[in-house]
Amino acid sequence: MFVKDGTYAKHLFDTEASIKMVDKEPIDVSSSGSQTTNPLSRKLNKILESRLDNDKDMLEALKALSTFFSENSLRTRRNLRSDIERRSLAINEDFIEAFQSVKEQLDSVYDDVKSMNECCQDMTNRLKVAKEQTHDLINQTTKLQNESQALQMKAQVADVFLEKFQLKPDEVKSLRGTRDGTLHEKFFQSLERVKQIHNDCKVLLRTNQQTAGISIFMQSVVFSLEIMESMALHQESAYERLYRWTQNECRTLTADAPDVSFVLCQAIEALQDRPVLFRYSLDEFGTARRTAVVRGLIDALTRGGPGGTPRPIELHSHDPLRYVGDMLAWLHQATASEKEHLQSLLKRCSANDEQIQDVLGHITEGVCRPFKVRVEQVLVSEQDAVTLYKLHNLLMFYHNTIGQIVCKEAALLATIREIQNLSHRMFFNSLNCNATKLLDKVELPPGDLGPTESLNKTLQLLRDVLACQEASVVAFDDKKQDFKQILSCVVDPLLQMCSVSASRLNSTDMAAYMINCIYLMQTTLSLYEFTDTRLEMLQAQMDAHIDTLVSEQASFVLNRANLAQVYGTIQQHQPKQGALSSIQGMDSQTVKTAMTKFDSYLASPDTLILPQCSLILSGRVRDSVKKNSVELICEAYKHMFEAINKPANEYKDPQSIVPRTPDQVVKLLS
Amino acid sequence: MAAGPYNYSYIFKYIIIGDMGVGKSCLLHQFTEKKFMADCPHTIGVEFGTRIIEVSGQKIKLQIWDTAGQERFRAVTRSYYRGAAGALMVYDITRRSTYNHLSSWLTDARNLTNPNTVIFLIGNKSDLEAQRDVTYEEAKQFADENECSAKTGDNVEDAFLDTAKKIYQNIQDGSLDLNAAESGVQHKPATPRNPLNTDQTPSKEGCAC
Repeated sequence: MFVKDGTYAKHLFDTEASIKMVDKEPIDVSSSGSQTTNPLSRKLNKILESRLDNDKDMLEALKALSTFFSENSLRTRRNLRSDIERRSLAINEDFIEAFQSVKEQLDSVYDDVKSMNECCQDMTNRLKVAKEQTHDLINQTTKLQNESQALQMKAQVADVFLEKFQLKPDEVKSLRGTRDGTLHEKFFQSLERVKQIHNDCKVLLRTNQQTAGISIFMQSVVFSLEIMESMALHQESAYERLYRWTQNECRTLTADAPDVSFVLCQAIEALQDRPVLFRYSLDEFGTARRTAVVRGLIDALTRGGPGGTPRPIELHSHDPLRYVGDMLAWLHQATASEKEHLQSLLKRCSANDEQIQDVLGHITEGVCRPFKVRVEQVLVSEQDAVTLYKLHNLLMFYHNTIGQIVCKEAALLATIREIQNLSHRMFFNSLNCNATKLLDKVELPPGDLGPTESLNKTLQLLRDVLACQEASVVAFDDKKQDFKQILSCVVDPLLQMCSVSASRLNSTDMAAYMINCIYLMQTTLSLYEFTDTRLEMLQAQMDAHIDTLVSEQASFVLNRANLAQVYGTIQQHQPKQGALSSIQGMDSQTVKTAMTKFDSYLASPDTLILPQCSLILSGRVRDSVKKNSVELICEAYKHMFEAINKPANEYKDPQSIVPRTPDQVVKLLS
Repeated sequence: MAAGPYNYSYIFKYIIIGDMGVGKSCLLHQFTEKKFMADCPHTIGVEFGTRIIEVSGQKIKLQIWDTAGQERFRAVTRSYYRGAAGALMVYDITRRSTYNHLSSWLTDARNLTNPNTVIFLIGNKSDLEAQRDVTYEEAKQFADENECSAKTGDNVEDAFLDTAKKIYQNIQDGSLDLNAAESGVQHKPATPRNPLNTDQTPSKEGCAC
């Protein structure tokens, strides 16, 4: 409004000036320009040219003028200027006044701003101070925060650690066990965990040594050791419980067919970590089973099956083979079953065969005594060698069979071996006894020079013994060894007996008798294995006796033909003695008579066979004696024939003395 | 580590008898190992095998004693009849003599075992049909005479399992007196015995089981 008024005033003045040629302040640019030409004209022009319609300022000024210039008179026109100036002054004063308040207000604003600024400054300073002051705090806080984080982490680690290295309450509880002492699955899990923790601690200790600093190391060592100690305590008490339980459980396994429960298998498996307790538990099991087996054997021996069938074994004690065989078969079956039970008990364990054998040996040890006592009784009271030998073979067979189940060191096997040795001794005792009897009461040879009854009986015994040897299932070497011993126990005394019994006979009878005896032995032995050496020896003895018999037979024939003397002289004759015919008893007539007799023998040679030769049992031997003796005779004849035909011996007409040639004789006799 | 197979409820003891070479050991081997054993050597004395079978959800352990058929072992094997719950009497369908000897085996079995012992008749080598020497009907009649039920089959497995099933069934029926077994047996099988004979004709060669 002020500005408007100002503008209006100026224009008003301008118009006045241009009209009245008054040109003072303010001067337009155009008016200064008009001075150059004709300012008046220019001004006039300008006025004339100016179009009032278009000059808004002018219109405004005029409008404003019209508000106070109400009376157009000279005076007013004259006063217009001062009026305007006055008005202008008033307006300016108004301005001042107005601006004064503005100024004052601005001043106050200024003051406000200034004080504000001061305030801010002050604030800034204070903030600065505060900041400086809080800096430490912040640092501290950050530090604490970090620490807190670290601690949280530690807490987590600690939790995990506890999780890993401490038992949960229910685990501890399950380890302590229930009041009634039964074991549950949980127990084994907890035990496994205790073990795990213990092992982990060990690992912890080891790794600490490698990585941690000394102080931490010491700390964690102490810690690990503490945990280990506590775990060890837990373990100990748990194992103690487990052992007690297992022990009790094993003690109850005395039924015929023990019920080896799954839990028991687990318990045994867990006890493996405590070899001593494991061992004790197995021993306990073994003892229980041992009792069961002994009871089983006694029951089988005395009570038999349900209602007495199968009948008790002892009912057959009169039949040693069946009695002992039944016992051994029972033991075999029991041993096999016990091994199965043991294997089922140890199925979860890595128990080696040695341990199994050990326990099995313990289990089967109990039956040794009752078994041994009975078998020994049988053996001692048994006289018959064949039965003893059968028993021996049976024992040997079962020694082998049971030996496939238990180990060599087992007491049962040792017992069987012992009994087997006894049976061996008893058997040979019996054989020797027999032999002694043979030699004590030597029978005289019967008239037919055949075998004596004792020889036949003994050979029958030998046959029986060797027959059961054949039927037995014993290792080849054992068989051979036994055979040798049996043969020397039987055949040697037999030969001895024959010799003794033949001692009072003449040589021919003796030869025939011995041939018969040896022949029987030979035929008996030749049926069996391992007798070759024995047979050879017998053959050699027989050959000696055959030789005797052959020469006896030959000389018998020569004697009967009175040729013995002739032949003897011819054999001893030396050329220096002169012609043979000149020697006494060798004249052609005597020789001729003898030869005639010999000729009649040639006609029927069988008439001159020794009775002993006909008593020989073996046709083959008989033939060979005959053949060999004929050969001897032919040999002798040939000798005599040659001597008589020899011209130096001065036999006249030898042809008439020995009409047959040796070849003819051989033909006739063979 | 399976606990199952060891936890059995019953133990049945069997004995396998019959002439030499009828395939007793092969039968056992087939049953326990599920394999045919060619060139099976003669059994010396006795051998034994076990297998656990399941009958009506009950685990039963079979302890099978395989005896030697040779005559010289007769005295030894006789001792093993004692306490057997079942006797498997085997003959060879291609050799009549083995069938003819059955009566002597049966006499042994009857005399030496519990009267309740189950006796099965098994004709072996049914794969050798061409060489058959004993007819099925004849054997069946023999089995019937001995109060047996008869059936045929090629499968050894079935022979053993069906038998055990029948025994077990009898336990369930109460027709088998378990108490009798407990009262005085010295043998493990807390077993029931019952007359029940079966004529099985499992193949020897190439048993398909």
